[in-house]
Amino acid sequence: MITAGIDIGHKSVSALILDEDRIITHAALVFSGGVEDAAKIAFDRVLEQSGLKRSEIDRVFATGVGREKVTFADGHPTQMLSHVKAAHRLFPGARTVIDMGAEGSRILRCDAEGNLAEFVMNDKCASGAGVFLETVAGMMRMPISEIGPLSLNSSNQVTLTTTCAVFAESEIVAEIHRGSPKADILWAVHDAIAAKVVSASKRIKVEPEIVFTGGVARNRGVAEALKKHLGFPIRIPENPDIVGAMGAAILARNAA
Amino acid sequence: MVTCGIDVGSLSAEAVIFVDSELKAYSLIRTGPDSAETATEALEEALRGTDVRREDIEYTVATGYGRVIVPFADRNITEIACHAKGAHYFFPSVRTILDMGGQDCKAIRCDGTGKVTKFLMNDKCAAGTGRAMEVMAGLLQVPLEEIGPRSLEFQGEPVKISNICVVFAKSEVLSLMREGVPQSEILAGLCEGVADRVRGLILRVGLENDFAISGGISKNVGVVKRLEQKLGVKALIAFEPQIVGAVGAALFAKELLHKKRGEPNPRS
Repeated sequence: MITAGIDIGHKSVSALILDEDRIITHAALVFSGGVEDAAKIAFDRVLEQSGLKRSEIDRVFATGVGREKVTFADGHPTQMLSHVKAAHRLFPGARTVIDMGAEGSRILRCDAEGNLAEFVMNDKCASGAGVFLETVAGMMRMPISEIGPLSLNSSNQVTLTTTCAVFAESEIVAEIHRGSPKADILWAVHDAIAAKVVSASKRIKVEPEIVFTGGVARNRGVAEALKKHLGFPIRIPENPDIVGAMGAAILARNAA
Repeated sequence: MVTCGIDVGSLSAEAVIFVDSELKAYSLIRTGPDSAETATEALEEALRGTDVRREDIEYTVATGYGRVIVPFADRNITEIACHAKGAHYFFPSVRTILDMGGQDCKAIRCDGTGKVTKFLMNDKCAAGTGRAMEVMAGLLQVPLEEIGPRSLEFQGEPVKISNICVVFAKSEVLSLMREGVPQSEILAGLCEGVADRVRGLILRVGLENDFAISGGISKNVGVVKRLEQKLGVKALIAFEPQIVGAVGAALFAKELLHKKRGEPNPRS
């Protein structure tokens, strides 16, 4: 059976085509404008990449924010269900999934079969969200992809005293003026974000294995800081930003 | 007797000079990167144009976020205590004070002598603080001091800014601007949001009359008017609401100087 999954984020949309357990192709793109249009563009992109016709796709599921607006989809599972399903498929030992996107984070727990057991989410505060990292990268005049690796060279001389992203900006400016090394400032940022996400997770019991998904999972610094705060190793999929779409595609197949 | 109160806040710093029981002079400056320098600058600014010299000052109390690094202070006292004392100086009938500063917001209850009985504070989140107002002023390209008056140009129920977080509210405001929502309505929505947020803080600490507001945001008529409506009370606001903490500090300095000299404290 060939199925497709589409995952709508706040800033990006990803699509993926699955043939049983094999990913045929996937695409992720940044969008602005309407959700349905973005979903359509992403879906057309993967169809084109795979050389498949629309009629050859047995079922399409859309997940993420505004998933109901994707009217051409056959089902609309929540991002919680999708992330857990795919994370568990990629790492069968997964019991906890930390999903961090542009505008929020979620901690999900699943059982040995990959069924969602409980979750906490934060979409009210930017301090644990990807947009904060984009702002910091901008302040450092660095590409976002480089801030994670650089932060790993930190000598731990800087700590942020606040978790609020707005207040942290002033602290970061002060550290830049003070001449603190970029690596140290960036580590302090990643550490603060991880601390924020972990403190939200106190309400549910985090158990290994832990899988880190969403766009922020591309950042090695955040992954390392999460590992420090949780005391467990963190597993990261090869393409952490397509996990939601993959989960939707798996759910589409299981829906039969 | 000459005493001095210095309030080094996150965005602004104030110095107040008392000669006996008279508020002789004050200053209000922007906080620089160095708290010690900022404090000295504020003091010199307050003394400028007066016949008081720096060496005439017999006792100095520092308060505010940067209070521990004021080199010439004899003591430092929390801004909670100083705001209550300062508000009581301006309005002896005050029992509830809302201090809206650059990076925090405090709801304080005090007794008939200006002594703190209870307080609640938000300094974890920028929502509802002066910083948030500055961010929005920059985004909308409106001078800070015009946010209040312009927000009142809009009549009726303004658009609701649903995000509390300033970072997310920024994107929300940007999309409202793109949709063509009038600037005055967006400003009204922002002031409404701040009023809603601090209303919760005041109700949790308990509102007892009279009610006073201090700090920079009390200069924003848009927030004050909406808050008054929501609470159903009139807010007392000093002629310069940003010096309330420093006034409290100078009054503490006076008491401490009496005590140091072994004199009884003349409570006026």
